Amino acid sequence: MHVNGASPEASTAPPAIDIRYLRVDYGDFVAVDDLTLAVPGGEVFGLVGPNGAGKTSTFRVLTTLMEPTYGEVFLDGVDAFEDIETARRIVGYMPDLAPVPTDLKVWEFLEFHATAYGLGSSVQRRDRVAECLEEVALTPQRNSWCKELSRGQTQRVVLAKTLLHRPRVLILDEPASGLDPLARRDLRNSLRKLAQQGATVFVSSHILSELAEMCTSLCVMNRGRLLASGSVDEVRHQLGSTERVLTATLLGRCGEAAEWISAQSGVHEARIIGQQVIFGFKGSDDAQADLMVGLVGLGIRVRAFEEKRSSFEDILVEVAETNRRS
Amino acid sequence: MSLPPVTATRHASWKIWENPIFARYCCSRLRARGLGIGLLLTVLIAGFIVAMANSIALHSRMNPADAARTGIIPLLMLQGVILFVLGTAQVAGGMTAERDEGVIDYQRLIPMSPLAKVLGYLFGLPVREYVMVLATLPFTAWSLWRGQVAWETWLPLYGVVFTSGLLYHFTGLLTGTVARNRRWAFLASIGLVFCLYTIIPQIANFGLVFFKYLTITPVFEESLAGLLPSSASAAVKFGQQLAPTVKFFNLDFSEAVSTVFSQGGLILTFVVMLCRKWRRSESHLLGKLWACGFFVWVQLLLLGNALPLIEPGNLFPSRAFMRMVSIRPGWAPAPYEAVAMAGIYGLVTLLLIFLLGGIITPSASRQIQGWRRARKQGASALPRLSDAATGFWAVLFMALTGAFGWFLFTRGLVESRWFPGHVVPLSTLAYFAGVMIMGGLGFQTLLEAKGGRVVVFTAIFAGVVPLMVGSVLGAIPGHFIPLAAWLGGISPVSMPFYAVGSLLSLSELPAEAARAVPRAFHFWLLVGLLLTIWLTIKLWQVRKAMAESVLAQPADLAVSVPAGVS
Repeated sequence: MHVNGASPEASTAPPAIDIRYLRVDYGDFVAVDDLTLAVPGGEVFGLVGPNGAGKTSTFRVLTTLMEPTYGEVFLDGVDAFEDIETARRIVGYMPDLAPVPTDLKVWEFLEFHATAYGLGSSVQRRDRVAECLEEVALTPQRNSWCKELSRGQTQRVVLAKTLLHRPRVLILDEPASGLDPLARRDLRNSLRKLAQQGATVFVSSHILSELAEMCTSLCVMNRGRLLASGSVDEVRHQLGSTERVLTATLLGRCGEAAEWISAQSGVHEARIIGQQVIFGFKGSDDAQADLMVGLVGLGIRVRAFEEKRSSFEDILVEVAETNRRS
Repeated sequence: MSLPPVTATRHASWKIWENPIFARYCCSRLRARGLGIGLLLTVLIAGFIVAMANSIALHSRMNPADAARTGIIPLLMLQGVILFVLGTAQVAGGMTAERDEGVIDYQRLIPMSPLAKVLGYLFGLPVREYVMVLATLPFTAWSLWRGQVAWETWLPLYGVVFTSGLLYHFTGLLTGTVARNRRWAFLASIGLVFCLYTIIPQIANFGLVFFKYLTITPVFEESLAGLLPSSASAAVKFGQQLAPTVKFFNLDFSEAVSTVFSQGGLILTFVVMLCRKWRRSESHLLGKLWACGFFVWVQLLLLGNALPLIEPGNLFPSRAFMRMVSIRPGWAPAPYEAVAMAGIYGLVTLLLIFLLGGIITPSASRQIQGWRRARKQGASALPRLSDAATGFWAVLFMALTGAFGWFLFTRGLVESRWFPGHVVPLSTLAYFAGVMIMGGLGFQTLLEAKGGRVVVFTAIFAGVVPLMVGSVLGAIPGHFIPLAAWLGGISPVSMPFYAVGSLLSLSELPAEAARAVPRAFHFWLLVGLLLTIWLTIKLWQVRKAMAESVLAQPADLAVSVPAGVS
């Protein structure tokens, strides 16, 4: 499937991330299969998929850590495998499980990377380290040993390291795992801020609701192939699920209402729980509105009418389950 | 709104003191707690060695200069253990730990040149061991000064200690980079250092003198007389008069120069290997050109160190043994010594071709990547020296060069003054080339056309099992020796011995094997060569199919690996 991450505005600028016909094989196993994707600059783009979907392989290729079996990758218009040095300056990578050296303190770890990236004088480096620690709210842990940090703090240290050289393309593999809700919110804000500054963030996660909130657009991968791409709603439509669960809270006459609802097209499994009629519905938004009008037309007093769409998690679980069965 | 720019500078590889990786390890490995204990122990042991040696020597009524000299060699051993054993293990283990923990990916991405990264690790990982050795140097300096040891004695020795340390640390770094497991990297590096001091010198005793220069032994032996008390040094000097001096193609180098020259070439090769791995982790350890150059360099060193020692007889193992007792007047080497040495030369050359051939042979996926890249660049063929290009021509070159070197060595031995009347005809060169092509090229084409798994099975069932069965049969008293000779001949590694045993007039095979070995040699050589030709044709077909498959399809279509390629 060949798609654009989001509809690019009329611009001649190359996409920040341009993946063409990417394939990664491990022996006989195809980890990424014919992936083509373009992500415009300034996006926070999410990559979702179950374990073994090919997310990490894609990221390792994007960061030039692994050469693909074939296919091309362009970062800000630079061919990543023809000009590795430039590509590596463009990209900032935070791997899954974010490892840190066990024999360094937090500031030493960041100082080492600041020096390695040649970020100015020692004063400038120190300032930049302090800035990044502040950005991830880890200034109090500056003198802690990396090995003594909690999982969430480790993630944040590595994020700080990734931000040090102000990369134009950020590749973050599961950055939110291990973070508490507050830290996740901070991360979300940080990424949005970076995107506003012009950086492109490509992020993967298993916390799908988080990803949906965090990203301007996203794509879904499974078994190495791209299944869908676009905004959350677009992806949901592309994956073919418009089913939702509706709940009508009534003031009496529940049996009569349930009987009438069950007779309508697109409705299944209507059941009564207390003063509520809960039923599955698959149809257009107009048809859903007609249901409410119909109930009111019968003289049934409707106190509330709630909709719960299948969550994104449900959709992906279904995809993963289908895979497992096949 | 755009990202604020960050000014970034590059690090010069030679400015090791500014190297961020070196600085990172100085930071972590020179912390007061860890270093303090190490330094304390080192200083205590070094002080104890010097004090104890002096005390015993003075008690034995030695003069103060001789007494001071008694501590030098124990100190050198302590420095060797710290630098060679602990340092090498630390380099190998530290490098593997980086990969185990996953932080090596960060280092791959930092914008430093591969050489700067290699040097950062090389001097950074064992920095504590360097400091510990530095802590012993005042004791050494005192012993040298008090013992009135001439600088011409200690300077080459300590120079070679440093180059040997570098060589072993490079070995550890390479092991740590290639080995998948931290424990294995640690054990492998210790094992390599152990082999260098135990097994490798034994190979040197069989004519391959070059291997001796990978250790500090030659320089140590040369310096020994100047380091020992005067009474002991007289005996050592007498022994040294009997010992052979190195003459690289009759150029009269000192042992130190020869050692630095031999180790320098190997260090340079390690640097190339590591830089290639840091540039692209999927790269072959060596390029084809460098592999060929390295092979020629080893051949030159083997021949250059060995040939000048033939005429005086110093190359022969029996002479080395006799030197330890007393050399009989009228001593002459036995013919079987020359035959065995020629066989060992052929075997080592063949094993080197296996090693280098394995390094430069591309896998199927690597070849596909190469073809895709060639198509992207509008080329219709792979660049000849790229990793994706076939290793066939490079291995063919090595096989022919190796055969020529083997022939020169054999002719030097057989046509020497020790074996009058014996000659090695030029036709032997053709046979030697046949053995090298059959073994080396057969291995390479099999690896490239069929993949590593098939090679492993072939090595077991055609290389090892026939030798084992043949050896068992050969050991049974009775009429099994001809059968054992036929079975043993199946293995390509036995071929160099079969070749010299069959072709040299010096050869004195036992009566039971005298007919079977030459017949088996000719038969299996013919079979092997036919198989190699068949494998070469198969390889060409596979490569052609692969190239057509990639070049024929548009860029957006998947390419399947041709059948039969793993």
